[in-house]
Amino acid sequence: MHRYIIWPAVALALALAVYVAEPYFVTQRAAAGGPSGLAGQPAPIFDLRDDRGRSVSLREYRGSLVVMNLWASWCPPCRAEMPDLQRLAEAEAGRGIAVVGVNEGESPQRARAFADSLGIRFPIWVDGAQQYGRTYNALGLPTTVILDRQGVVIRAFDGPLTLDEMRAAVAAVRAH
Amino acid sequence: MIFFLSTALVVTAEVVVEIWLPGRPAYHAGWYNVTLAALAIVVVANGRKQWKAARSSRSRVAILAVAFGAAATGVAGVASGLFAPDNRDVVGAPGERVRVEELGTLAFPLAAEDRSAPVVVMLERTLHAPLEIGARARNAGSFILRAVSRDVVEVEVRDLLGNRLTVTQPSGGVFLSPVLLMQARQTIAGMNLPFDSFNVPAARRVVKAILFTPAEAAVVLHDPSAVGQAAVLFAVDDESDRPLPHHAIAFSAGGAAVHAGDLWLRGEVTSYPEIEVIAIPNIAVVAVGTLLVLGGLVGLGVRRG
Repeated sequence: MHRYIIWPAVALALALAVYVAEPYFVTQRAAAGGPSGLAGQPAPIFDLRDDRGRSVSLREYRGSLVVMNLWASWCPPCRAEMPDLQRLAEAEAGRGIAVVGVNEGESPQRARAFADSLGIRFPIWVDGAQQYGRTYNALGLPTTVILDRQGVVIRAFDGPLTLDEMRAAVAAVRAH
Repeated sequence: MIFFLSTALVVTAEVVVEIWLPGRPAYHAGWYNVTLAALAIVVVANGRKQWKAARSSRSRVAILAVAFGAAATGVAGVASGLFAPDNRDVVGAPGERVRVEELGTLAFPLAAEDRSAPVVVMLERTLHAPLEIGARARNAGSFILRAVSRDVVEVEVRDLLGNRLTVTQPSGGVFLSPVLLMQARQTIAGMNLPFDSFNVPAARRVVKAILFTPAEAAVVLHDPSAVGQAAVLFAVDDESDRPLPHHAIAFSAGGAAVHAGDLWLRGEVTSYPEIEVIAIPNIAVVAVGTLLVLGGLVGLGVRRG
């Protein structure tokens, strides 16, 4: 009888050896994927203040598509992108899309002076502790994140966008 | 029979101890794994003899259970000893999500809302498991995860008018994090100290930060108000990493704001979790193997009784 047991036992032992050893070969730390790695996850909600000191939160935007743009005044590509964001905000006003600029790590005065100098009229939030920059895993500035009506991250972009790219992204999300 | 059973028990006990007291360097040593493998082979060879000599089918089943259980446990132990990686620490910045293959994603929180509340790292798998400093380790198949405390420095930077400035870490894990993980080391005055750096792009400055424990700070600081407090030494360079000509070095003790290189700098030392990942023999295989050995022993004991 033992002849009938030996070979299945050997096969079972080999399968067992592979099963217990396999995890050790694939365990490696993988690099985080930047902001686009957050697609499909709910956006974190932080209680912030805007550039005029008023309390603001993403909760107020439930039911709207939100284009969140992370920026700072020292960042030349942010300055270049801002007028196009203003055009997008104007074009999409009243169509269920909100554009929000989130200043990363600067004072409200600096954020407001920057926005005023460019004629920005969409909401400017001040994220002094850089919470959104951290949780969105921004690789640089600007970073743009688009949220659906339930506050879930649909798309995220590292670097400046042109107006056409913004419009295409919004159209794609609207069709989502 | 006694030799067979005691060898099986030794193999099982050796591997169970690897789970009970995980992470010892001896488990990866050649002599240890050769011994474990040799004992497992002895159990199997001896089990074959005992199986042939057994008089009842019940004894044969019990012997088979002991031999197979000890062999499975031994295979799990040797595989872990020979192939498993050494212990390692996964360090994440607050707000960072670190993906670790096989284990899932470790979500490092921004901070506890209440400073006195524990900071919990979440292991996101099918079951969300919290990892908290000081709490018991979590088992994740062939690994154990344990949260331990490390000192990090949260920095705040302002210009001379008091305007807050953005902090970036181009070479850090998270670009826009104002929390320095202090993973590098630098020797100053014979002390090997944690060290990190960050940029202040709006002021075109690069700042190096060196962390001193309260005892180390007492050696270099002669300020009585700073006694018993951790301190951070800030050294401010220009954006090309060249030293500034005047007043570019300052100590911030106990989170106090200091002036250096045309900046106001504040460094608050806080505890933050890092996750120790320790390889262990596959716990499911060891559990089944141990149960088989114990079940076989009981079966043989009942038979003899």
